[in-house]
Amino acid sequence: MSNRFVDEGMSAPVNLTWEVTLACNLRCRHCLSSSAEPVPDELTTAEALEVVEQMARENIFQVNIGGGEPFMRPDFLEIIDACHAKGIMTCISTNGTLFDQELVDFLSKTRLVAIQVSLDGAKKETCEAIRGKGTYDPAIKALKLLANSPIPTSINTVLTTSNAAEVPDLQVLADEIGVTLRISRFRPSGRGAQTYEELKPTPEQLVEFSNWLGRNDNIRTGDSFFSLTPQERQGLGLNLCGACKLTCCIGPTGKVFPCAFLQDENFEAGDIRQNTFKEIWDDSEIFNSFRNLRIYSCEGCERYDQCHGGCPAVAYYLKGDIEGGDPECIERCVTSLADLGTQSQAV
Amino acid sequence: MGAAGIKLHPACRVRQEGFGLLFYDSRGPGLLFAETKRLLPVDFFDTVRGLEEFPEGVAEKQKPALKKLYVTLLERGFLREQSIC
Repeated sequence: MSNRFVDEGMSAPVNLTWEVTLACNLRCRHCLSSSAEPVPDELTTAEALEVVEQMARENIFQVNIGGGEPFMRPDFLEIIDACHAKGIMTCISTNGTLFDQELVDFLSKTRLVAIQVSLDGAKKETCEAIRGKGTYDPAIKALKLLANSPIPTSINTVLTTSNAAEVPDLQVLADEIGVTLRISRFRPSGRGAQTYEELKPTPEQLVEFSNWLGRNDNIRTGDSFFSLTPQERQGLGLNLCGACKLTCCIGPTGKVFPCAFLQDENFEAGDIRQNTFKEIWDDSEIFNSFRNLRIYSCEGCERYDQCHGGCPAVAYYLKGDIEGGDPECIERCVTSLADLGTQSQAV
Repeated sequence: MGAAGIKLHPACRVRQEGFGLLFYDSRGPGLLFAETKRLLPVDFFDTVRGLEEFPEGVAEKQKPALKKLYVTLLERGFLREQSIC
């Protein structure tokens, strides 16, 4: 991925994350947006369809739809139909609990949809310890229904300390079902902020995962793990934070943020109810400051060209400073393990 | 079977950016940044084109680079071969 063209500034995002509702029938302990009940002033159907019109006008190629559980929104199929009619690819994150054959048949009508079903462990007990009782079997059922359809489907797993050892088994499970595996990074936002210390992977697990990724180039990570992407995967995805450059996030009420993990009032770039998306993308001070963000403290690192300082959202939540450098990048993991080794030798 | 031409793959889209054309493939998804400035109209591959076909006004010296781009786009699946007639 050439950064030069991205640095010049894009006319619009390539894709954006749209959290269409905060309504969710689950209460996952690591939820990035504390989803539960819908927010009272979520975008109406007419407003949501206007967002689609604006995305089409700006030639945004893809929208990654999450929430909340998007299928909880009564008009959700109307919204994605509108996206598809405009040629916009929809990649939908779901917990899979509301899937049946009828829904899969409906979604199969277009080639512009891809589905990620969340599953946070290869073992039922591991998954349900995070996502709640009764969540594993419906997700597996949804995955099997989708595997028998033309819809590109993946298991999406958020890497935590409790499922890190099961990642190879998740790959086996995905292969058996006939879908792909995507691993996402756990970030301390939403309910994840409260459970972060308990659920975050250890430095050992992150180093092991990084090595495993290097041996498994068929595993998708989106832009989740550029902070620890091994050399073998360079070129498979982004090697920098794409927020405000290639992507951004629209929240359930139409507020616009740099990314789904920075839906914080300090990072509110604008409101789709007050300005057009184009105006926000072009003129937001928040967005422009992100485009000029440089993590100077990381520039001396030999991996700087590979991650450019890592995830500003993690730096913000853990260090209170988006310019502070990703505190859980692979370099820091390796260093902390080396420090531990030195200390134990000294003891 | 008629002669083959090239056309934008139905799974792909393209838009104009300051540097040139940005190609997107929904199957990956994947991106390709083509530094064409305004040389290649954004809708050029909406119709079937020959590998030796260039937009009006393209200088002879620019044609080899454009042809190389066509081949790259074809190899990477952003364009596909299609019968002209």
